[in-house]
Parts: sequence; structure tokens; C-alpha cells
Amino acid sequence: MAQAIRNWEMDQKSESNDPNTPKQKQKFSSSFRVLSVYMLEHKKTFIAFIICTLIAISGELLQPYLLKLAIDDHLMIGNTEYRSLLLIGCMYFGLSVTSLVFSFFQHNLLQKAGQSIIASIRKRLFEHISKLSMSYFDRVPSGSLITHVSSDTEAVNQFFHQVVLSIVRDGFTLIFILVMMFQLDVTLTLYSLILLPIIAAIAIAFRTYMRKTYQLARTRLSRLVAFTAENLSGMPLIQVFYQQREQSRQFNEKNESYFRANLREIRTNVIFNRTFEVLNNLAIACVVWFGGRAVLGDTLAFGVLYAFITYIRLFFQPINTITQQWNTLQAANVAIQRIWGILSIEPEVQDAKQPTKLPTPIRGEIEFRDVTFAYVDNEPVIKNLNLNIQSGQMIGVVGTTGAGKSSLISLLCRFYDIQQGNITIDGISIKELPQHDLHRTVGLVQQEPYLYTGSVLDNVRLFEPSISRETVIEACRFIGADLIIERMPEGYDTRLSEKGSGLSAGERQLISFARILVFQPRILILDEATANLDSQTEQLINRALDYVSKGRTTIVIAHRLSTIIGADRIIVMRKGEIVEQGTHQELIQINGIYKEMIDYTQGKGQPIVSY
Amino acid sequence: MDSPKILSQFFKKTWIAYVISVTLHAIANIIQVQFPRVLGDFTDALQLGQLTWDGVLQSGWELLAIGISFTVLGGIAQYLVMYTGRYFEYMNRSRLYQQFLQLSERFYASNGVGKLLSYFMNDVTAVRESISMGVNQTAGASMLLISTIVMLLLSNVPLYLVIACIIPLLFIPVIVVWIGPKIKRRSLKVQEALSAMTASAEEQFAGIRVTKKFAVESIMIERFGATVDEIRKRQLRLVRISSLFQATIPFLGALSLIVAMVYGGYLTVQGTITLGTFVALTLYVRMLMNPLQQLGNVINVVQRARASLERLNDLMRQKREIVELEDAKPLDPNDAAIELRNLSFSYEAAHNGELDKQGRLALNNLSLTIPQGTTLGIIGRTGSGKTTLMKLLLRLYDAPVNCIRYGRHDIRSIKLSSLRESIGYVPQDGFLFSTTIRDNIAFSDRSMDDKKVYEAAQHARIYDNIMDFPEQFDTKLGERGVTLSGGQRQRTSLARGMIKDAPILILDDSVSAVDAITETEILSNIAKLRSGRTTIIIANRVSALKHADHIIVLEQGSIIQQGKHEQLLSEDGLYRRLYELQEEGTRA
Repeated sequence: MAQAIRNWEMDQKSESNDPNTPKQKQKFSSSFRVLSVYMLEHKKTFIAFIICTLIAISGELLQPYLLKLAIDDHLMIGNTEYRSLLLIGCMYFGLSVTSLVFSFFQHNLLQKAGQSIIASIRKRLFEHISKLSMSYFDRVPSGSLITHVSSDTEAVNQFFHQVVLSIVRDGFTLIFILVMMFQLDVTLTLYSLILLPIIAAIAIAFRTYMRKTYQLARTRLSRLVAFTAENLSGMPLIQVFYQQREQSRQFNEKNESYFRANLREIRTNVIFNRTFEVLNNLAIACVVWFGGRAVLGDTLAFGVLYAFITYIRLFFQPINTITQQWNTLQAANVAIQRIWGILSIEPEVQDAKQPTKLPTPIRGEIEFRDVTFAYVDNEPVIKNLNLNIQSGQMIGVVGTTGAGKSSLISLLCRFYDIQQGNITIDGISIKELPQHDLHRTVGLVQQEPYLYTGSVLDNVRLFEPSISRETVIEACRFIGADLIIERMPEGYDTRLSEKGSGLSAGERQLISFARILVFQPRILILDEATANLDSQTEQLINRALDYVSKGRTTIVIAHRLSTIIGADRIIVMRKGEIVEQGTHQELIQINGIYKEMIDYTQGKGQPIVSY
Repeated sequence: MDSPKILSQFFKKTWIAYVISVTLHAIANIIQVQFPRVLGDFTDALQLGQLTWDGVLQSGWELLAIGISFTVLGGIAQYLVMYTGRYFEYMNRSRLYQQFLQLSERFYASNGVGKLLSYFMNDVTAVRESISMGVNQTAGASMLLISTIVMLLLSNVPLYLVIACIIPLLFIPVIVVWIGPKIKRRSLKVQEALSAMTASAEEQFAGIRVTKKFAVESIMIERFGATVDEIRKRQLRLVRISSLFQATIPFLGALSLIVAMVYGGYLTVQGTITLGTFVALTLYVRMLMNPLQQLGNVINVVQRARASLERLNDLMRQKREIVELEDAKPLDPNDAAIELRNLSFSYEAAHNGELDKQGRLALNNLSLTIPQGTTLGIIGRTGSGKTTLMKLLLRLYDAPVNCIRYGRHDIRSIKLSSLRESIGYVPQDGFLFSTTIRDNIAFSDRSMDDKKVYEAAQHARIYDNIMDFPEQFDTKLGERGVTLSGGQRQRTSLARGMIKDAPILILDDSVSAVDAITETEILSNIAKLRSGRTTIIIANRVSALKHADHIIVLEQGSIIQQGKHEQLLSEDGLYRRLYELQEEGTRA
């Protein structure tokens, strides 16, 4: 048990490592200030909601009062006039209908306002994140971004759904009951009020403890689920390594610890609810004692006592509901802080105040001048790099992992800003260009092409409506993808998605080549685009590559040297610097790193490192 | 359908708890219905002027005693049922997990992880809820209902008045059963819309490079916005019906009260019933509202749970495909030559238990001997049957009888544990578990000596990478830990396979994501370490297997070429074509 709690505490700690979690506990007031801006936009709906709530509550809470009237004015004194009893019945009916109608409107109005607010927060957050720089996406795992967009906004939704509703409805109910009770009998009400702080104290004390048990159970459940999910994916491995027994043991441990946490949670719940009920009964007994004495002394009518007992019973419900909101409120508070934390992040890469347009036609000449760049201060990954690429040239970049190849292209795309030096396209610094133009000028094909949920057609044109179907089909024909696409069940309208598209790596790559043809960037970067293909598809891809790179300035980052043998120039990088450059032939003659790499591919080399 | 299977096992263990719980519920409710009676008697005494201070005091004590004993007894009953409910989850999740461990590769190939997890989570929970809620609420509500009616009749309320008052209340369960599923459906629609939005965000953030590179952010924002608007639409549809529902239930209760008040009041005025009875009647009516609503809920929950229960039973009935013979013998490590005799295999036919009926042959009439201590290379295009052959050798699927032999024994007559312990396997995808790197490498025996783990890591050329991590071998992988690159994953998985030091090692395209230099180093390490033991290397690239003692080229499930590297190169065939394609140009 102690071990599990320690784990849980560690979980809590590691959660705060999330860069978007506010470091200190934030005050609720700032969260409400933020939300109130949105709530003001729906002022009318909220006011209507409050009015509906008031009417609905009155309709409901006046009902015991009517019963009191019936008892005191008719039955108790033996008033045989039946008509006024019928009248009370009609009023009662009227009240219930009012309550029915207005509580319906009350919920709908609140949801309408709340849902609109959540929708606009979600859109704003998503738009903001989409516009942040790549460096942000490197730092923050996409899983946590998804959590912010879906779960955190959902927590804010719960705030409207539950907290606002409960505060308004239950708050007013409490006040209303108190007013009615004072109206009925002041002394008895004052006695009852002694109960209020006791109830609240018990409720709050229990809630804190309940939250802990609840979170403990949640943490253990998510661990159990994560473990099971992973084991299901890795089941063949478990079987092949014959590890069923060990995995079973680990599973049982997790299952049992969840079971225990669960028991603790329900025990707490049951005890809390029952304590509350006992209190409620105690209150009723007190009312009977005090009220009974008053009735005996003829200072209180029996109908009043009757109504009082009903109200005392109603009294507990709203207090219970309101104290339940504390957890939701806290969760919403944290979520709001996180969301607004993200919204306050400025993109690191910004457009110049007065951006320059590239002169058309774009030639596609690239120059790196004395470029130095570091992700982390004082650890440069690119050092004082100079490189000039003429319009229409094809450049191959090789080097081992960590040599700085990928950083080089990230800089050209301006995913990051460089610390020193300058990068220009056609003589204009890329910092002067609008990012939109830069990104449309420099095209990138990655090692693992990404597919969106949508038709083949939309995947090629990336949902851009200004690109016609004909353009897409033509592009696919040029690179030899149309035969493959037409074989698909619905041709160009076949639905694809990242998971389970049924496309091979090569077919995916063809689609990303078609994207290039459709968007027509003047400069093309291929980032190890052919690393994952089997040899057969590779031929098709190489042909497409030849076609796509024609007339474009092309930079190829290669894992396998065969793709860049024919390049106009090959650049060999090591530790952020260019150490060799020249054509294939020239580099072979230098007999340096490049030659060594070629030898290894052909299996002639011996391992450099031995132990 | 024999759905009771899971349930009968469970109830056999827990029936005592349920008997106690139902009894307690019954007692609690019989006590609870005394509450209106006490107040009614109080009223009558008051009206007749017979009420004394002692009477008041006694009524108060009685009410308190009723309240507390109902609360405590009901609480214990409730806890018992909730406890057994959670025990149900615990017990059946364990059983499910055991079943998961038994099921074969084929089962996993046709059932996604998401679906299986949903059995594990949602279905188990749904059944638990219906058992807990079903017992608690049905017992509570029906006991209360019966005792209330009995009490009403006992306290001289005429039957026709009782019926008149209860009629509106009876609509409550009807409405719950009628509208409840509708609400459920609409709320499912909301959930679907929510997950569509999550999926859209997931897609956007995963593909952010593409989006940014083509500068189509605005289009993606619009696409996301559409999913957000859909949520709002569906939420509002849900609230329309759920708020109507929430408002209707108290309304029906109010109708009952009106009947009680007007009709009961009339009878009181007439002197047919006493004021005390009238008071008790109104209190009983209020008391009945909740249990009737709960009964409706129970019907809904039970209905939903029935489907879940059937799914769970179906899953538990799944027979395991790979069964160990009773007289299975362990594999003799000194007699582990592998022999394939006319091996044909089709995934469909193997499932139906009969070969060469329909179904595409994944392997077609393969015959081959791998002498102990040699290295076999297998090359072929995607889909040529390489991985299928490996799965048969590991007995993840059953090959036809007498087609695969290890030494003198057919694969089926070898103990599964011994077979799998004798084979080191490095799969294609390099799947790793979210635990420490050390435990991943030492997966085959987690109590292994650390020194062996370090050694294996060095052999797989992953040691230096691991030592660069802040917590080195204790670094956690996965969600909350470090993410490895494709090449690092493969090398870790390689270390995991090599550490077993098994008589047979199978590498299924295990170095495809590793750069050429490292690949060469690893292969030479393997050659050194595995000398004298059987090694099977599957690869897409010629470079990975050209040093093998024997190479086979697979095409559509058949061996189309075999021999040594040089020999195959001299033949005009697929091997040479692949070689030329791969090495094209590098031989300047």
C-alpha cells in the first residue's frame, strides 16, 4: 500500500513536469476573469438562464407550502369547503407545470451558452497551437497537446455543465428554502441554522479525503489499462519469449492494487453518504422535538411543522451537490490555467514587420553564409557553415546520424531561427519572407509521409479547394501513381488515414511526391525519402524522383548512397560542419570519409570499433 | 447462448454476500416505512389533543432510531454489493488476462487492441454495474415498494386511494425505460463527436510538419472547427432530451401528490381517513418516487449489460489454437537441426484444420534442412512468405503434421516452453515494453545478471546510446519515459534476442533501420558469437546475409533459388536482380 501511494505521489510530481502546467497554484479569481470575458459575450443567455432557474425553483419549492396551507387551513380545522382544496390542487398543478417548463429551458439555455463558449475556446486554442513554431512541437509531445485540446477544454465544459448550474440552482434553492423557513417560523429556522456549519465542515473534510481516494483509484486504473494495452500489442513477443508467468504476476499486482484502491474509494463514499443521511435524520428528530414543543404550546401550527420537515429534507440535497463541485472546480481551474498558458506562448519564429515578397519568377538559388545554430545554448549543431546552391542544382547531403543534416533543412524551412549568419533565397534573407510564401517555395518530402483522414484526392491537394481534381490526376499520372490509385476500390475517392490505409511505404511516398507536383515549390528537399522502401518500389520512386526534381533546386538527404550518386554535388557533413564536398568521382578520389562509407555499403570494410 | 457461465462462476463464490445484502435491504426498508407512520400517529394524537411532551419526545427518538438503523443497515447492504461488484471486476479481469495470454497470433491479427481493451474495460464494467446496481436498487426499490403498499393498506388507507395515488408514479419506470436508451444513444453520439475531434487534433499535431511545409494551416483549422461545431450540435441535441427527462420525473411525482392531496384531502374532510393517515400518505408518495426511477434505470443497465456479458462469454469460450501434447518432450539442444518436409501452409486452411482446400498458399511445398550450427539467409520480396515461415518455426501457428522437425521430433511433440526457450527471436518491428531498458533486454529472464545485459547491449551496438541517457540502463521507455528512434529500438530488440544465447537465433529483418556501418559491425558480432550454433537471418537487403552458409530466395511461398552468395550471383535470377538494384552505382 505504502509503495503504491509513493508511486502515486511520484505521478503527481511528474505531471507537473509538463511545460504547460502552471508552476504555482493559481488563484481561482484569475481563471474567472478569463472566463468572464467569454461569459459576457453570452450575457443575455446567462441572464435568461438565471431567470428560468429562479422560476423553476420557486415552482418546486412552493409546493410544500401549498400542502401546509391545505393542512392548516382546511384539514386541521375541519373546514369542509371542498372547493378551495380543489383550488389548492389546481395551483399545485400549475406550479409543477411551471417547474417542468422552466427547468427544461434552464438546462437548454445554459448548455447553449456553455457549448458555444467551449467551441470558441477549442477553436482558438487549436488555431494558436497550429501557428506555433516547430521548436515548440519538438519540445512538447503531441500527446500532451491533444490532452489540452480535448480533455482540458472538456474540464472547462464541466465547469459550465456542473459548477455554474449547481451554484446557481443549488445556491438559489438553499436561499429559497431558508427564506421559506424563516417565513414559516423564525425560532425553528434559527435552531436549524446551527446545523449548517456542521454539515459544511463534514462535507468539506470528507470531500478532500474522497478526492484523494478517487485519484488514487484513477491512477491505478490507468496503470492497469496501460499495462494491459501494451501486453495485448506485444502478446506474440510474450508468448515467443515464454514470459506468460512473469507478465501474469505483474498483471495481478496491478489488478489487485486497483481493487484495493477501489474498495477504499467505495468505503469512503458509502460512509460519507450515510453520515450525511444520519445527520439529516437527526435534524428531523430535532425539528420534531423543538417543533412539537411549540405545537404543544400552541405557538406553532401543525402544517408549519409538516412543511418544515419537508424543507429540512430538501435542505441537504443542495449542500451535498454544491460540495461535490469543489473537485470539478479545481480541475477546471487547472485546465484554464493550462489553456491560457498555451495561449500566451508567442511563436518563436515570427514574420518580419514588413515582409518582402520573392521576385517572380523564383530562381531557387540558396545561400548559407556563416550559419551557426544551436538548439541548446553553447551546443551548436551547425557551426559556421557556408554553402551555395545554384538554381536547378541537385545536391546530396550525407553523414552519420547527428551530423546536422536534418538541422540544415529545418533551418532552410525556417522551423528555427539561426543564431549567427544568414540564409538567403534568391538573395533575400528568409527572415524577410512571409512564412507562408517561404513554405510554399520550399517543398519537403519526409522519410515517413503523413496521410490525413480523407480521400486520395484530398491527401494530394491537402484539402486546398483551389486545386482541381484534374490537376491532382495529372500530377499522379506524371509520377506513375495513377495506375496504383485506380486499382483502389474507389479510385481517387478512396478514403485513407494514417493508421490502416493499407498503402505500402512506397505508395505513401508516391502520394507525397504528387503533393509536390501539385503545390509546385521551386525548391525541393528530400529527407531520406527512400530509406524505407523495398527495392522494387524504389525503382518506381526513383523514376518519380527524377521527374519531380527536374527544373527544381533539389537537396537530397540520403541514408543510402545509391540515391545521390548522380548529384551535381555531394556534401559530407560531420558534427555540424561540411568536411568534404564534390561529385561522386571527386570524393572517391579524395579517399576520405565518403570513400569509407561507400566501402561499408559494399561490405568491404571492417568494423572501426572493436572491443 | 450460455451467458450465465461468467455469472454462475461468480455467484457461486459470492452468493452469501448477496443473501446477506438482500436481507439487510429488506429489514432496512421495513424499518424505513415506519417513518411516515410515526409522523402520522403524531399528527393524529395532536389533532385529537392527546399529544403530550412525552409523546413528542418519543416520536423524535423513534424517528431518529428509524433513520439511523435504516442508514446503517442499508449502508452495510450497499457496501456488500458494491464490494462484490468490484470483486467481480477484479476476478474477471484476471480471467480475461489469462485468456489473453493463451490466445494465438491469429486471434490478435483479427482483433485489434482497441476492441480487446474494450472487452477488458467497458464490458466488464457494464456487467459489474448491472450486477451491483441491479441487486442494490432492485432489492431496495422493490422492498420499499412492497412495504409501502402494505403499510398504506395497514394504516386504513382505502385501496382505491392507494391505486389512484400510485398511477402517475407508475409512469416513471415506463418513461425511464422509454427515454433512457434514447439519452444513451445521443450521449454516445456526443462521445463519438468528441473522439472525432480528438482524432482530428491528433492528426493535425502528428502531421504538423506537412501542414506547415505546405502552408495549409488555415485549411486544417477549418477542418478542426467543423468537428468542434459537430460536438456542440450533438451536445444540444442531448440536453434537449435529457433535460426533458429530468424535469418529467419530479412532475409525475407532483401529480401523485396532487391526487393524494385533493382526493385524500376530500376523504379526510369527509372523515373517511384521519389527518394522520393523510400526512403519512403524502410522505409515502414522496418516498416512492426515487425507487421507481431506480427500477427504470436498472432495466436499462441490465439491457446494456446483456450484450456485454455475451461478448465476454464468447471471448472466454475461444479455444486456444496451439495446444501442447500431453507427452511432449523438451527440445534437445544438441539435436536441433531443423528440417522442413514438403511444408505447405495457408492461413485460412490452417484455421479450418484442413490443408489444401481453398485459401492462398502462403508457403508452397518447402523442403529444406538447416544443419545444426549453420547460418541460413532468407531473402524475398514483401509477401513472399519469409515471416510466415518464422512464425511456423516458432509455432505461433501450427504447421501441418510432420512438416517441421527439430532433430528427431516433430514440432508438435516438443514442449512449448522448451521450444520457445531454445529460440532467440528478433522481430521486425522492434516492439519494446514501457519499462526500463534493462528489463526490456533481460525480458527472457528478468532476474538475469546485469553484466550479461551490458554485454548483450554491447554486442547489439546499443550500449553507448544507453549510457548517454541520464539513467542509463534504468531509463524508462514509453509514454512517460524516453522515446527511442527506429534504429535504437531495433538494436535494443536485437540485444533482447541475443541475450538468450539460445541454440537457435532468428533475425527477422532486424537491422533494416540501422545505418550501413553499424549494420556491418552488428553482423560481424553475430557471426562471431553464433559460431557453432544455428542462426536464421531474414533480410530485404543482400548485404545483410551474403555471408550466410546457405541462402534461399523465396517468391510466392516457394524456394526459387538457393545456394551460397557467389553461386547465386552467378545465376540469372531474382537474387542477382535484387543485388544489382541495391548496389546500383555504388560500384563506380
